[in-house]
Formats: sequence, C-alpha cells, structure tokens
Amino acid sequence: MRATEILLALAFLQHSAEHMALHRDERLLFLPRIVLSLALLAGAHPNLTVWGLMLHALILLHRFQGPYNGGSDKMGLLILFCLSMAHLAPPGIWRELALAYLAVQVVLSYFISGQIKIMNPDWRSGRALSDVFRFSAYPVSEDMRALATRANLLRSASWAVMLFEVTFPAAFLHPATLIAALGIAVMFHLANAILFGLNRFVWIWIASYPSILWLQGRLIGTA
Amino acid sequence: MWNTFRLLMPALIPSWRFFRTVEASPRVQWTLTAQDEHPTDWQEFRPRRNRRSIAEAITQLVWNPRWNEALFLVSCAERIEVTAEPHAVAEIQRRVLADLLRSGSAEHGQVFQFRLVFVDWMDGARREQVTFLSEPYTVPAKVSS
Repeated sequence: MRATEILLALAFLQHSAEHMALHRDERLLFLPRIVLSLALLAGAHPNLTVWGLMLHALILLHRFQGPYNGGSDKMGLLILFCLSMAHLAPPGIWRELALAYLAVQVVLSYFISGQIKIMNPDWRSGRALSDVFRFSAYPVSEDMRALATRANLLRSASWAVMLFEVTFPAAFLHPATLIAALGIAVMFHLANAILFGLNRFVWIWIASYPSILWLQGRLIGTA
Repeated sequence: MWNTFRLLMPALIPSWRFFRTVEASPRVQWTLTAQDEHPTDWQEFRPRRNRRSIAEAITQLVWNPRWNEALFLVSCAERIEVTAEPHAVAEIQRRVLADLLRSGSAEHGQVFQFRLVFVDWMDGARREQVTFLSEPYTVPAKVSS
C-alpha cells in the first residue's frame, strides 16, 4: 500500500506541475493537490491525505465535468478510491479487498482492451491502427502519419498489442512472468507516450503495479 | 450529488475499452474577423509540428502540458458532438482565446469563432465535416486564465 501511495503521489505531482504551467485559475485549483501529494510522499498522515486527495479529485471532476485526461485520470481516481477505502477499512480482509479490487481492475484494463480489439476485424487486419496514424488527433508530429502506409508493420504491431493484452491475466500465475509482463506493459505505455503523447498513462499505470504484485503474492505466492 | 455519482462511476467501474473503434477525429479551428465580416480564414488550433526530436520526445515523457491540454479539447469536442455540452463549448472558447491573446494573435474588439471539423478516411481520401460552429464572440481586453 505504501509503494502505491508513493508512486501515486509522484504521478499526481507530475500532472499537477503541468497544470501549473497553463492558466492562473488552474494553478489555484491544483495547488492543494501538490501540497497533499507532497504530504503523501512524505508519509504524513496518509489516511487523511488520501481522503483529502479523494475530495479534491471530486472537485476536479466537477470543474472539468469529467476526467481531464480520459483513461489516465480515471486510473488515478480508481487508485485513489481504493487507497481511501483501504485506509477506511480496519486491517484485515476489508482492507485487502480494497487493494485486490484495484489489482483486478489493472488486469482487466489490459485484458478487456485486448479482447475488444481482437474481436474487431479492423484491428486484426491492422486497418484500425493505420487509421489512428492516418487521421486521428493522437500522432504527435505530422511525419508519424507516414506510418499509416506501413501495412505489414501495423498488422504485426496490432497483433503484438492484442496478444499481449489478452494473455496478460496468464502472467499472474507466476511472479517471474508477472514481472516480465509488467516490464512489457511499461514499454507499451512508453511507446504510446512517444508516439501519441500519452505521457500521463505511463506514470499512473506504474502506480497501480504494486497492487497486482501484492495480490499475486497474496493469492499464489512465489511458487 | 447525482452529478458527482454520474461523473465518478465510470472511474470506479471502468469499461477499459480503449480504441475499440477508430472514429472520425475532431480538430478545433478558430477564426478572427473584424465586426460584421464573414469568417473565411480558419486556422487549426495548435497544429502538430512536422517533426519532433528524440530529446523532445524524452522530455515530453514528464512535461507535456500543452499537448495534454490539446487532448482535453479533443475530449470537449467529442462531448459537444454527443450532447452539445455548454461546459465543453466554454472550455474550448476560453482556452483557444487565452492562447491567441497570449501569442498576440487576437486583439480586443475582434470577433472570435471556433468550429469543430471531424476528419476521417473514406475510399482512400481524407474527408472533413464541420459539425459545430460556435457563436461569434467579441474579444475582450483579456480572458480569465
């Protein structure tokens, strides 16, 4: 739980710092998150700081009428909610259930994402990934749009991503395979950050990994 | 309370359906004209650069505020497309205008408008469709930022 708190605090500091560079009203809005994240990083009253961050996250949800950065903010909220519940619960099964819920959601984040892609013929043919490069708002520079014409490369990349995602739950069965899978997952998020500018996903997903490592050890052990 | 619940639930029970399909993608375009002038010159908000260096790519792993703001405007554009959400309209107007004032592109008294253009690919050709046109807005001396 402590590792999750530290990594979450670092991820929140990263994205709060980005908001401090934008507009004056956002500086005021994100200042409390910076203070609370620093307190969480220092381990000062983590139960209070986690709940403070949770309440602040609700204010942000209202301010932006939803997550500011889609999936990455949703994962941040999910981690925060599970930590809040874990702090609220007495030590024992309820606390463990809160952390286990987070771990299960991390597994599902890969599995469902892969499963819905592999059922789509456009993803299986590489056409969907080609469209992402050809006309979506995500490629960070115009020269990357040229990748849209590399059909074989994109078909291979699509299958690599889909197979990794749908087989991710199997990695849970052994600590060594889980660590290897999480290493691949980090590379996947780094690639998304470099190609599509989705940098916040890298840090917030890494913050969720201690929960899945803990649950693997708790349920299956070191084999 | 219901609104909080509505906003919170997708994060607590996420669907995780990233890129299920690749739909037409929005671009935010803006124009500045004199009073009573018909807008013809539409510019894309923060057009992406032709190239990006490796050093920039590495830096942007930890520092990418303008790109993340642009992605937020993409979300706002998608919300407008679905529900014509006034909050999303106001967010785009405020952020684009603040950018134009900061860069010196906009002047007090000019008329500002933005529109949403959805781009996709059909039968081997790029297709663009204007789906939303904002109300004209006289540029104030400064916008809240």
